[in-house]
Amino acid sequence: MALNTSTIISIVFLAAMPFLGGILMGVDRRLTARMQNRMGPPLIQPFYDVLKLWAKEPYIANNIQPLMAFMYLGFAMLAASFVAFQLDLLLMLFTTALADICLIVAAFSAKSPYSYIGGRREFLVMLSYEPVLLLVEIAISLVTGTFIIKGIRAYETPLLLLLPAAYVVMQVVLVVEMKKSPFDVSGSAHAHQELVRGVYTEFSGYTMALVEVGHWVKVVTMLAIVGLFWAPNPFIGTALALALFVGAILIDNVYPRLSWQRMLKTTWTIGFGLVIVNLLALSFGGVI
Amino acid sequence: MAIYGQTLVALTVGLPVVSGLASLVLPGKTIRSVLVSVTALVLIGSSVSLLGISEFTYNPGHIYETAVLVLDFALLFYFLYVGMKSKSLPVIGLSLLQLVPVAYFEFVLHGVKVENILLVDRLSVFLVLIVNVVGSVVVVYALSYMEEHEHHLQLKESRQGRFFFFMLLLLGAMNGMVYSNSLYWLYFFWEITSLCCYELIRHDGTAEANTNAVTALWMALIGGVAFIGTMFVGYYTVGSIALTKIMTAQLTPILLVGFAFLALAAFSKSAQFPFHSWLLGAMVAPTPVSALLHSSTMVNAGIYLILRIAPALKGTYLSLVIAAVGAVTFTLTAILAIRQKVSKRVLAFSTIGNLGLIIMCAGINTSLSYTAAVILLFFHSISKGLLFMGAGVVENRINSRNIEDWEGLIGKLPFTTTVMLVGMATMFLPPFGMLLGKWVAVDAIISTPLAFALPIIILICIGSAATTFFWGKWLGYLTVTPMTAQKQVKETLPTPYRFAMMGLLAVSIVFSAGAPYIINNFVNPLIGEAYKLSVTSTLMEVNTGIGSFLVGPFWIATVAMVLLGVMITKKKGGVIVPAYLGGENVPEKPLMFFTTADGEAEASVSTVMLQSEIDEASLNKFAVIIGVLLIIVMFLVEVI
Repeated sequence: MALNTSTIISIVFLAAMPFLGGILMGVDRRLTARMQNRMGPPLIQPFYDVLKLWAKEPYIANNIQPLMAFMYLGFAMLAASFVAFQLDLLLMLFTTALADICLIVAAFSAKSPYSYIGGRREFLVMLSYEPVLLLVEIAISLVTGTFIIKGIRAYETPLLLLLPAAYVVMQVVLVVEMKKSPFDVSGSAHAHQELVRGVYTEFSGYTMALVEVGHWVKVVTMLAIVGLFWAPNPFIGTALALALFVGAILIDNVYPRLSWQRMLKTTWTIGFGLVIVNLLALSFGGVI
Repeated sequence: MAIYGQTLVALTVGLPVVSGLASLVLPGKTIRSVLVSVTALVLIGSSVSLLGISEFTYNPGHIYETAVLVLDFALLFYFLYVGMKSKSLPVIGLSLLQLVPVAYFEFVLHGVKVENILLVDRLSVFLVLIVNVVGSVVVVYALSYMEEHEHHLQLKESRQGRFFFFMLLLLGAMNGMVYSNSLYWLYFFWEITSLCCYELIRHDGTAEANTNAVTALWMALIGGVAFIGTMFVGYYTVGSIALTKIMTAQLTPILLVGFAFLALAAFSKSAQFPFHSWLLGAMVAPTPVSALLHSSTMVNAGIYLILRIAPALKGTYLSLVIAAVGAVTFTLTAILAIRQKVSKRVLAFSTIGNLGLIIMCAGINTSLSYTAAVILLFFHSISKGLLFMGAGVVENRINSRNIEDWEGLIGKLPFTTTVMLVGMATMFLPPFGMLLGKWVAVDAIISTPLAFALPIIILICIGSAATTFFWGKWLGYLTVTPMTAQKQVKETLPTPYRFAMMGLLAVSIVFSAGAPYIINNFVNPLIGEAYKLSVTSTLMEVNTGIGSFLVGPFWIATVAMVLLGVMITKKKGGVIVPAYLGGENVPEKPLMFFTTADGEAEASVSTVMLQSEIDEASLNKFAVIIGVLLIIVMFLVEVI
């Protein structure tokens, strides 16, 4: 592979993704704090946390768990590389699912009721957002005629103008992906009374650090997909992504958690409903 | 060259029958083992050799034609006898519905004459490869399984001779079926697979086995009746019952009805809605039977038929209805699989669903979707064979079919559990072949007109999420590692088990990694016979024109990641500590905690089934109704 400029940009972007994610998490904590009338930690607090976790004395639940935690980060990075190198969007989704499975297997293997229930709920979380995200991606490729991100970016009309409803649906997907209220049934940044930390309960020290960074990467990957909604101008695309990011934090602070049944109903009705209407409108308009 | 090809054809059809008969008469475990192993090896060898053969047609001669005719009538009378013995009206009725028209067709119309009875082309060779490689491995596996099985049942007299006769006959009949160009021969071999299926399901002779076998038989006989419908249509419209003639004839509404009959036969064999209940009932048979029926034979007969006729149906409404049946089956079975407690039932629902996906792809009927169908068929056969074999071993070891008893199996049966874990992963995760097939399928769907694609897209989105859910939760459940089972257990397994499971596992991984090679050398030539090629694949990449699957880099990245992960986590290590149980842990007992009254209680977890959310009875009813409706539409759509 010849090292041309675009390859170098891709590599740099991929390497920067965990850092971007960390900073975004810092922004998240600051914003949330301000919404709750607190000061909040420094912007780079997430990095302090992860470095400290990494250096802690290692305690593990079993021998499968650390490897699975590593694979979670690994496959999250692999999924991110599909975005960084502008490859297949569909395959990126399947790779994300692979990362999720690794996290759940790690949680299951510990045999703590809390992490186990968290893992079960993580499956329900996947069940609620995966088909919706898949539908959004299919809608994008129905318009642009390709699943390859490079091709999608080359499409001249900004996607937001054609698929506004799909953009709204991405807000829902992002809330689920960031494990924010009302869709944080499987575990969130803070402890739940009935679930401790859910799927994260049995991670500590360096395994927790791995899982944490994996989560950052996944959030950035998802935001990068939102950015595709205005590909001709990357600045507007970034602004669209950040708008949803701030939107997710706002929603988190406004809504209480829903039961998984209501989560599933909400994401499916909003997700499928809006995208289908959008696609039908495009079809009648003769765009697709 | 022609002689060479004919010999291979004769070998793949004749040898299993001969060895089957031999196993019926020759007593003794050793003779049977040698016989079955040698047959398996020869079958694998000849099916691989057949790949090098170019297309040819062939007429085996008068004696064989007469033999097929005689045997066919014998078979139909036997079915009639079975119907009377088991007092099953459907079996009696459907046997008569075949006997009378076939007699009329043969003796009054003299309609069975076909010039080229056998046709060996890329599609048949591909099917023969799947049938014989996966089938042979399963038959070898059965050598060990049946020993354990009969030991378990404490049989005084071994019934294995009969068992292996029907297992091998099934392989032979499948081979004969995919070679047949004459609809009559196709029908004959089709009926033999129904016979084998019936006999194998009722092998253990329990009341349940007998009932389920009869159900399977009458559903299969519907297919037979449908075949006769097509033969009459072929005779009266085209003047021939040769598939090659019917396929190339001008499509008229009547001829389309003929094709609809074939599709109906395929649905009954491949257990699509509304015929799915027979395959679920079939699991009362010893596990190797399920492994064979679900992976390489029986259900593949229906898929083969659909794949065979699909090119003739390009752009017809009939084709769309076929796709709809498959799509609905795929989605509903994926949802039903979530709530299943019995391991083989989960696998069965997954089989029906994946067959639905394949049929859907064939029904969409573009070059791309047909490619997806063939890829899915190939990898599904391997993975499903593997999973059933693993499930059989586990069942014999822990004496339970309930997957709730599989918790933490990795600590008890490390080898078999690893096989099962990888097998499950090959069913739904990248970078394995099944996912590659699904990925091509999605690309195929979005390149069809939206009015038709949209409902299918919704079904696929929901179905594939449900698929991830039911596989993932089972996979996760196996890895629960109770601290009490930390000591390494050595698992002892008989050689055939090890050979069969390792063999298919290796095949499944190597072929997944080499998917571009498979597509280039086996799938694309087969597509090229009927469609314009749409998938280009290099050593590293599969490209559909809509997306690109970088198979090579994905595998390299995955392997590198696993190695790096093992290295880093080994280096970091860590002290294993008991899980957090929300109270004080009891010392030395990692899964016990002190309750408020100072008693000790064990923390236990169970898997998620969504039993109250998914209503199986009404979903089943819905499945039957929608299946029947779609079949009615399938026949009516020709008239419009």
